[in-house]
Amino acid sequence: MSGAVGREAVFPTRQSLGLMKSKLKGAETGHSLLKRKSEALTKRFREITRRIDEAKRKMGRMMQIAAFSLAEVTYAVGGDIGYQVQESAKQARFRVQAKQDNVSGVLLPQFESVIATGSNDFGLTGLGKGGQQVQRCRETYSRAVETLVELASLQTAFVMLDEVIKVVNRRVNAIEHIIIPRTENTIKYINTELDELDREEFYRLKKVSNKKQRDSAAQDAEMLAKRQAEDNKENEPAKAVIDQPADILGQEDEDVIF
Amino acid sequence: MEGLFFNVNGGYIEGIVRGYRNNLLNGQHYANLTQCENIDGQFLLQTCELHASNTSEIVDVKLQLAPAYGDFLATLPPNPSTSALAAKTTDKLVSEFRYLQAQATGSLAKFMEYLTYGYMIDNVALLITGTLHERDTRELLERCHPLGWFETMPVLCVATNIEELYNSVLVETPLAPYFKGSLSHQDLDELNIEIVRNTLYKNYLEDFHHFVNTNPDFKGTPTQEIMSEILEFEADRRAINITLNSFGTELSKQDRRKLYPEFGKLYPEGSLMLSRADDVESVALAVSGVAEYKAFFDAVGLNQGGTEGLGNMGGGSSADGKSLEDLFYQREMELSKIVFTRQFTSAVVYAWVKLREQEIRNITWIAECIAQHQKERIGNYISVF
Repeated sequence: MSGAVGREAVFPTRQSLGLMKSKLKGAETGHSLLKRKSEALTKRFREITRRIDEAKRKMGRMMQIAAFSLAEVTYAVGGDIGYQVQESAKQARFRVQAKQDNVSGVLLPQFESVIATGSNDFGLTGLGKGGQQVQRCRETYSRAVETLVELASLQTAFVMLDEVIKVVNRRVNAIEHIIIPRTENTIKYINTELDELDREEFYRLKKVSNKKQRDSAAQDAEMLAKRQAEDNKENEPAKAVIDQPADILGQEDEDVIF
Repeated sequence: MEGLFFNVNGGYIEGIVRGYRNNLLNGQHYANLTQCENIDGQFLLQTCELHASNTSEIVDVKLQLAPAYGDFLATLPPNPSTSALAAKTTDKLVSEFRYLQAQATGSLAKFMEYLTYGYMIDNVALLITGTLHERDTRELLERCHPLGWFETMPVLCVATNIEELYNSVLVETPLAPYFKGSLSHQDLDELNIEIVRNTLYKNYLEDFHHFVNTNPDFKGTPTQEIMSEILEFEADRRAINITLNSFGTELSKQDRRKLYPEFGKLYPEGSLMLSRADDVESVALAVSGVAEYKAFFDAVGLNQGGTEGLGNMGGGSSADGKSLEDLFYQREMELSKIVFTRQFTSAVVYAWVKLREQEIRNITWIAECIAQHQKERIGNYISVF
């Protein structure tokens, strides 16, 4: 795998080695941070999934109860009050407020239901008969809508978190599998190149020193020869003097065995 | 004596109504209905029941209702919605009522007209709402209760503002006397439509009461006796309901008092006390003068200070799931049932209409319970036969 990622186009210098090393360090820190973020997000994500499940079940129950309470209204009032309720509703009683929630740097919208107090536009509906049912039905439905709002906020968070987790995971994987190996490769490359250079330098130095040694040895030899020559020149007459007696000995006792 | 000439004009109608009454679903039918698994099947079972055939296998609402409502339910698509079901059953009531109305003459015809005024009030209230909000009122005509339909109703749709509407209501509708004197066109604009509706209804009840008590054809007959009782009960029920439902709303005590019909068992002392009531306890105290209402309040435990069981079927918080409105309906049905024990009276028409209405409500309720799989409350219907 790491073989496929190649390396970065840098000159194998000590400076770029230093750069690469700091880059690797940065990448590793970033990786661990992102990994932690992804884990935090995933944890939240799971929690939201669980809560969505709960909310959906709750919504199912609430809607059933609400629909049934409407049936009660129909029974009690004995007619259709839909039109009247529609027409007498003047302003929204049930409002939704959006807030932002920060989960490891991700801004999630959160919806909150607010029931405007004091606004009861069709409070008198069913005054003659069934008023209690109408009011109760309204309460049941507003509870059902509350559940829906809760569910909506969870679902939005779910979608957004999903997106963010994907991005973060892609980053984590990119750092883990591309950037870190490539940087490592580059460092390795720079190191080998530098070693190569070192060895070359060393060999060159060795060569130079060898040559120098040879040169100096030759010089030494020359010097020595020269000095010897000089010495010989100085000692030549003395030698002749000394040779004389010896010569005598040699000449006289030629057949003396030592 | 009073029955001597009744049959000249009313005999046929009375006979027809008694026939219709026998068509009403009884406890056995309801028991079968509640056993149904789906709406389609329920009605079919009903048919078979009436033909005394074997019904134990059939589990469909449509099937169950077929004998009583067969013709009207035949056009329903499979698995009809409960509202479609209710509409069809209402259609049947309306067509039967129209038939009776066509046969009625004299004061009986007038009596039946009075019956429709209640629905007319609802329709006019609907049109007023539409006009107030500048909607196309023609679309609303479809939503009007067919029993409250009157020939000149489409004329009301011509009105584009509330003053025009007010004038046309005065001219074109039989409701003019109920508007006149108690409501001006400004009132229509300013007052809550529910207050308008209840004012009209109060006037209507008073007028109806006055009519059955003073009309020479009804005076001194069982009709007067029965209708007075029923209307008094209706008036009291409205007064109590309005009081209970007005708690916590912007309806002031003075305005509330104006909505109480000025007759009935509670009038005047009970009404006065009701108009001063602030909570359920004081309502209970106000009605304690009348034994039967006191019994209702005792039954739902309101005298103990509980307010949860107020509405009918109020979450089953009160004993055996009966609430005040349930008890009122029950009482109304019992009164209507008793009417059929009397002879020579047009009140049977009224009683029959009320019984049929309740029957439609019951069927809708049962169908709703089946459709929503809420079988535990299915028994909350009111059956008196």
